[in-house]
Amino acid sequence: MYSECRGTLGRSKEEKKVIRKQIKASHTLLKHEGISTTPHPTESVVVANGGLGNGVSREELLSVLTEAEEVESLFMPPHKPYAFVTYRSVESARRALTQLNGQKLQSEENSITLYLSYVNSVTFEEEKSVPLPEGLVLVEEFVSPDEEAVLLAAIDWLSSNEDVTAQKSLKHRRVKHYGFEFRYDNNNVDKDKPLRAGLPDECLPVLERCVKSGLISIMPDQLTVNQYESGQGIPPHVDTHSAFEETIISLSLGAKTVMEFRHPDGRLVPVVLPGRSLLVMRGESRYLWTHGITPRKFDMVPACSPHSPASDLGTNRNLTLSKRGTRTSFTFRKIRHEPCCCAFPSTCDSQGAASAFSPSPSSPPSLPCCHADATRLEEEYVHRVYNAIASHFSSTRHSPWPSVCHFLSLLPAGSVLADVGCGNGKYLGVNPELITVGCDRSNALVQICVERGFQAFVSDALSVPLRTASCDACISIAVIHHFSTPERRLAAVRELTRILRPKGQALIYVWAFEQEYNKQRSKYLKEQIKDEHLEDKWTNSKLSVHTNRTAFNTQDLLVPCHDTTKTSNTILKAKPENGQVPVFHRYYHVFQQGELEQLCGQVAGVRVCRSYHDQGNWCVILEKD
Amino acid sequence: MKLLTHNMLTSHVKGVTKGYPLLIKATEVKVNEVEFNPQFVSRMIPKLEWSALVQAAEELGHRQDLPGELVADYETNEEFLKKVHRILLEVEVLEGCLQCPESGREFPISRGIPNMLLNEDEA
Repeated sequence: MYSECRGTLGRSKEEKKVIRKQIKASHTLLKHEGISTTPHPTESVVVANGGLGNGVSREELLSVLTEAEEVESLFMPPHKPYAFVTYRSVESARRALTQLNGQKLQSEENSITLYLSYVNSVTFEEEKSVPLPEGLVLVEEFVSPDEEAVLLAAIDWLSSNEDVTAQKSLKHRRVKHYGFEFRYDNNNVDKDKPLRAGLPDECLPVLERCVKSGLISIMPDQLTVNQYESGQGIPPHVDTHSAFEETIISLSLGAKTVMEFRHPDGRLVPVVLPGRSLLVMRGESRYLWTHGITPRKFDMVPACSPHSPASDLGTNRNLTLSKRGTRTSFTFRKIRHEPCCCAFPSTCDSQGAASAFSPSPSSPPSLPCCHADATRLEEEYVHRVYNAIASHFSSTRHSPWPSVCHFLSLLPAGSVLADVGCGNGKYLGVNPELITVGCDRSNALVQICVERGFQAFVSDALSVPLRTASCDACISIAVIHHFSTPERRLAAVRELTRILRPKGQALIYVWAFEQEYNKQRSKYLKEQIKDEHLEDKWTNSKLSVHTNRTAFNTQDLLVPCHDTTKTSNTILKAKPENGQVPVFHRYYHVFQQGELEQLCGQVAGVRVCRSYHDQGNWCVILEKD
Repeated sequence: MKLLTHNMLTSHVKGVTKGYPLLIKATEVKVNEVEFNPQFVSRMIPKLEWSALVQAAEELGHRQDLPGELVADYETNEEFLKKVHRILLEVEVLEGCLQCPESGREFPISRGIPNMLLNEDEA
C-alpha cells in the first residue's frame, strides 16, 4: 500500500481543470447525503472517496492525510464513501487541500482519487455502546496459538463426504460433523444414528477448561466444524431448540470475523469474534436471537488498541476495515433427548414454532423433497413474486425472441396455439393468423394480456384446462425452469404433449446452466450491471442466491430482482432496510446441456425433433406421434 | 372471455370424465366490434365443437338464429360466417363463472378472465 505524492502542486492546467470538475461532481453527491460544502476555508474538510463504504480503511486514509498535514481528528462514518477530517487551524486545512486534492490512494487492488472540500461543521452523534444479547459471553484468548494449531490440524477435511473440489467451486463454507450429524434439510439431528467418529481427542483439554471455568456443566457430545473463506458466511438462524441442550459454545480459530445477532424486534448487534476466542450462548442469545455471518470480504471493526473490548462495535467512533481471512469454528453442543421447554415458544420447535429459522425472508429455503414443499416453495419464490412485479416485469419484456417468432410464423394459418405460461402475452399476437389462447399462473400477468386484447386465463401449467389433443401447437417459453422438482418438470412437459393433437408441435425454452455456448456469451452475461443493493449472498448446501449477470454455479437457485415500480404490492414480507428497495427472489432450476432432451425423452408418444441453444436457453421442439 | 376461448376450455377437476363443455353463468356480458375477417373465421370453424358453441350462445341469450348444425359450404356463406364471427369473437363474458357439468365446481370469471386454478385436493 503506497500513496502517490502528487497534489495539485505541480499539475498542469488540464489536470487542475479535471480535478475541479470532479470536485464539483462530488459536491452534488455529498448534497444528497445532507452534507453542504462551502468554498470558504474552514478547519473541517470532507474527503470524498475516502470512506469505509468504498473500501478505504482508517489506516490507509490516515497514512495519506498525515503526509500532508497533521490531523486533529478523523471521523469515518460506517458504510459511507467519505470521511471528515478536522485540522488544527484553517491554514493547516488550506495547505492540506492544496496538497491532497486529486491525490491517488492505492487501496488493495483499487486506485482511488480523493477529493477534498471544506465543510462548515462536522457533527456526529455519540452513540451509546450497544449491550450484548442476554446470555452471550465472549472469552478472548481462550486457547493459545499452539493449541489453536493442534485443533486445526486435527480436522481431516479430505475424509469428509463432500467432494472438496465441488465444495470449492460452489463457494460454500466447508462443514464437518462429529458425534452426531446435523442435517440441513430439516435442521435437526439424527439422534438414533451417532456418527462413527466421536469428538476428536484434541478437543478434550479445551472442553475440560470450559467445565472448570463454569461455562458448561455437561460435556458436549456433538461437534460441528465450519470453515469460512473470505466472502463466505452462514444465514441468520437460531439453533434448533429440540436438537440441543441450552448452552452452546463456539471456538473461533484463525481469522477474526463479525457475527451478527438479530432480535425479532429488529435490533441488530454485531459482535467481533477474534481468533482463539470462545463464544458462549445461553438464554436469549441461544433461544431467541438469530446469529449469522454475512458473506463479506471486509468487516467494519473498531480501530482500537489490542486492549479495548473487542465487542465494542456500538459506537461509530474510530472504525476501520478488517479484511477477512480463513476462519474455522468449532461449535460444541449437547444433544437434547427431551422436548425443549424454554421460555421462548415463538422460536421453539418443541412448542409449536413452525421452524427454528428466523421468520424473516432472509433465510433461504432448501430444495423441496415432496410435492407439498415444492408447491410452497414455488408459491413463495415464483407466484408471489410475479404477481408483485407484474407491471415491472412486463415493461422489461417486450421483445419477442426471433427464434420463437420463427416457430410461430411457420404454423399454418388458423392453427390453434396454446401459450402455457404466457406471461404478459408477448407471443400471443406475433402471428395474427393463429387462434391463440394464453394461460399463466399469475393473475396480474394475465390481466396485462387481456388489457392488450388477447384471450388468456389463469391456470397452472401442471393442469391445463384444455381438452386433450385440442391444440395444433403449443409453446412454453421460460416456464418449466420454475418447477422445483424433476417430477413436476416432467409433469409440465406431459401436459404440453397431452393438449397437442397428433403431429402437433411444442416449443419449449428453459434457462441454461451454460450461459456461454460455442464461445458466445449470452446477452444475460454481456451486460454487466453494478449492483450496489446486493448484500444477500448467503450460500447453504441447498439453494444459493445468484449474483445477477454472472455465470451460474449451481442448478437450483434464487435469482434476485429489485422491484422498482412505484406502486408495488409488497406481498412478500421483504421490508426495505435503510431505504433499499425490496429484493424479490425467484426460484429457478437451470438446465444443463442435454437435460431438457432427456426430460422430454421420458414422455411417451412424443419425440424431440429439434434441440438447440438460443441466447442462454436450452430449447426443444417436440412432435406428438 | 370470448366464446372461442370457452369452446376450448374444459373442467380438469380430478376424477371428472365429462367436464366439457363448461356451463356459463354470466352476470355481465359485453358485445364489442371486431373487424370481420372471413378467411380467419372460416379456418376456425373446423377447430370448433359446434354443439358446445350453440349451447354457450344459448346460455348467454345471444344465440339469435345460429343453426344447430353446421351448414354445408360455410366457407363461401358470408352471412353465416358473420354470425359465427359475432358469436365467437364479439360476445364477451366479463363477469360470472364457468361450471363443471359433472362436479358442479364453479370457476370464477372476473374482468373477462376465467380463473381455472384448482385447490390442492382437486388437482
